[in-house]
Amino acid sequence: MGTVGKRAAGCMLSLALATTAVMAQEPDTAVVLRVSDADRYDPQRSTALAAAEILYMVGETLVTLDRDLKTLRPGLAERWDVSADGLIYTFHLRRDVSFCDAKPFTAKAVVGTMDRWINPDFPGVSKWKAGKVESVKALDDYTVEYRLKEPYSELLYQMTQFNFIIIDPAQAATLKDDFGVAAFNGTGPFCFQSWTPRTQTVLTRHENYRWGPSFMANSGPAEVAKVVWKIVPEEATLAAALQTGEGDVSFAVPSWALSQLQATPSIQLLRPEAGFRTHYVGMKITRPVLGDKRVREAISLAIDQSAIAEAIFFGEAEATKSYYSEAARDFNPKMKLDAFGYDPERAKALLDEAGWVSKGDGVRMKDGKSLSLIFYGFTDESFKQMAETIQGDLRKVGVDLKVELYDPTIVWGKLKTQDFDLYQMSYPYLSAGDAMNLYFPSSNMPTPNRMNWNDPKTDQLIDAGNRAVSAEARFAAFAEAGAIIHDAVLWKPLVNEKLVVVAGPRIAPFKPHGISGAPLYDGLDLKLAK
Amino acid sequence: MSTEMTALETAKPAIVSRPYLLRRLARDPLALVALIFLVVIVVAAVLAPMLAPFDPYDTNLRMRLRPPSGQHLLGTDTQGRDMLTRLLYGARTTLALGFASIVVGSLIGTSIGLASAFYRRLEGPLMRLVDILLSFPSILFGLALAAMLGVGMDSLVIALGLSAAPPIARVARATAASVMQAEYMDAGRVIGLSDGALIRRYLLRNCAAPIVVYCSLQFGETILLAAALGFLGLGLQPPTAELGSIAAEGRSFIFLAPHVSTAASLLIFMIVLSCNLLGDAFRDLTDPKLQR
Repeated sequence: MGTVGKRAAGCMLSLALATTAVMAQEPDTAVVLRVSDADRYDPQRSTALAAAEILYMVGETLVTLDRDLKTLRPGLAERWDVSADGLIYTFHLRRDVSFCDAKPFTAKAVVGTMDRWINPDFPGVSKWKAGKVESVKALDDYTVEYRLKEPYSELLYQMTQFNFIIIDPAQAATLKDDFGVAAFNGTGPFCFQSWTPRTQTVLTRHENYRWGPSFMANSGPAEVAKVVWKIVPEEATLAAALQTGEGDVSFAVPSWALSQLQATPSIQLLRPEAGFRTHYVGMKITRPVLGDKRVREAISLAIDQSAIAEAIFFGEAEATKSYYSEAARDFNPKMKLDAFGYDPERAKALLDEAGWVSKGDGVRMKDGKSLSLIFYGFTDESFKQMAETIQGDLRKVGVDLKVELYDPTIVWGKLKTQDFDLYQMSYPYLSAGDAMNLYFPSSNMPTPNRMNWNDPKTDQLIDAGNRAVSAEARFAAFAEAGAIIHDAVLWKPLVNEKLVVVAGPRIAPFKPHGISGAPLYDGLDLKLAK
Repeated sequence: MSTEMTALETAKPAIVSRPYLLRRLARDPLALVALIFLVVIVVAAVLAPMLAPFDPYDTNLRMRLRPPSGQHLLGTDTQGRDMLTRLLYGARTTLALGFASIVVGSLIGTSIGLASAFYRRLEGPLMRLVDILLSFPSILFGLALAAMLGVGMDSLVIALGLSAAPPIARVARATAASVMQAEYMDAGRVIGLSDGALIRRYLLRNCAAPIVVYCSLQFGETILLAAALGFLGLGLQPPTAELGSIAAEGRSFIFLAPHVSTAASLLIFMIVLSCNLLGDAFRDLTDPKLQR
């Protein structure tokens, strides 16, 4: 018995030691925890936000976006000129930049990057973001001319996105399919050291880096010598790992865990100044019942989005009455948004008016048919809870909602069909124009224009906004289009999700960036507490 | 006619008479407690619409995850619905699902078992098929079927029934094989009874007892499998209350509001344990080798 006891004590001790070994991390290293990995780290071949997170640290764009997500700032280009017709963009590049392998950064890299991406034979993604490109040419070693076939007002904003990160074209040509998998040579504050898929990605400090963007507190080199991005697929495990000190930073912590973490004194919750991600319920207007705008408005008025923000997101989201945030560029403040509030009595009156009447508390009927709608959603925990809440809210006004939840592997296919009335979704965006370009042109039917909103006036205005050469003209076009789609009640906007970065005691307080998918941005401000 | 009577008489001792069974059961206190618990749960589940203090589908987010109190005896769930009401309705769904599935499973299993015992040339292919099905863990088999058939009560019953069928088929075949040796089977054949009549009148009746006992043992397992599928999100769609999905829904909030998952899991545990205890007791009672 004695030996067993001793052995058990020995086991406990070694277990404790092993735990402390995990906790006592390498000096000068920050460990970031996240739930999923990217397919590859090639900015031109991945749409995954998980790729953006790392690519912003190892690579840079010509133009950058300030923390308000509205103001453009110089990046690898120190300044740029746009011709009066909006067709020629001339970028003047910084002369002090070099890649991780010490090779100097010149106009050749920019031309090589763009040529690779827009080459029709190259299986690149998100090519539309580049606009209709006529040519990209180097005028000299530090001047690039970007010529368009037609004006594209969103170009400079799109250029701040991770797909526009300047790569080392020679490396991409040599490595081919292994580019962004085996290696990635960039100009960012960190260098890509190794990637073990679904386990971790290790980045080391780019020692010569001195050219950080103006909105970062530190202009280089980075404060930490090493950043390790670890994958912890289970949300609850991830939250626990932050508490035990196994990880230092994460922005993948579920809302329900935040209140718990908040109670831990050493844990800091950091929030960006702006960030655009909106949850909404879309309505397919070509379905028999939803063709009637009164019914759509009634559905919208029956759903209490502020209860969702408070309860399901534990206050880490704000209830919204518009399809995109009021803080987004080209938001029209004069739009009428009464249809998106919460007023179940008005909802009932509208349904009565539309001929859907109920006897007692039951489901409403019209011409012998009951008011029963099909709702497609996601099986993820918070989505599932939202779906049930929406179902409960609609039940109170006499609408029967048949909720069908699908897991991520099949839901996208299901959402391409015409078999549902309502669906739930959340999406990130850059601006009102970005949101509208995605969802409301008739050319985007059946997906992502799942509403089947087919309106020539909207198409024309979005196109005018895209081609506008002045900020005023762009605003005028997008603002009018915004008013039209809001007036038609095509969505029920629910909440704007607030991004929260959770940092442990080893990290000094910093300000996260709200850019889609990369709150740590280039990692320059990531610093260990003394 | 008279031959038939004789055959049945011969068969009689195999079936233990009901009052005798209950009297013997009363001597096993554990089984008795299990029986009483199950009866209470079944009655509560059947009468759920009358017993439940609240509407099971009335959501109120502002009241969510409240701990047990005077108003809500077992607290509220993630949508602010009364937990006691949800559990009553959940037990109703889960028990109905388990019962329907075991009925489907025993029909399929018994048919396969009897057919392979009666028609010897079918035995090879049918029982090998059963062996293949048995080599999958039932949870995996159930998961695959539920994913394939899609969500909904009907497909869930089919998935659960099919997962319960293989072991029942094996028991049915073993029992039927020994009944096939009995003289009354030959007698029935000699007087020219059809295959259908032979199977129905002699084979099925004489195999019924062990199969029923085995099914009562399987019942608990089927409920557990139904709850597991619900937990994994392959059960019924919201807002239907089902014990497995209630346990799953509370899992994220286990530290914040432990009552949701705990109450549902405990109920599943008690029901399955009671079913197993009762099934064991039945088996002991009907097993001639264990009778003194």
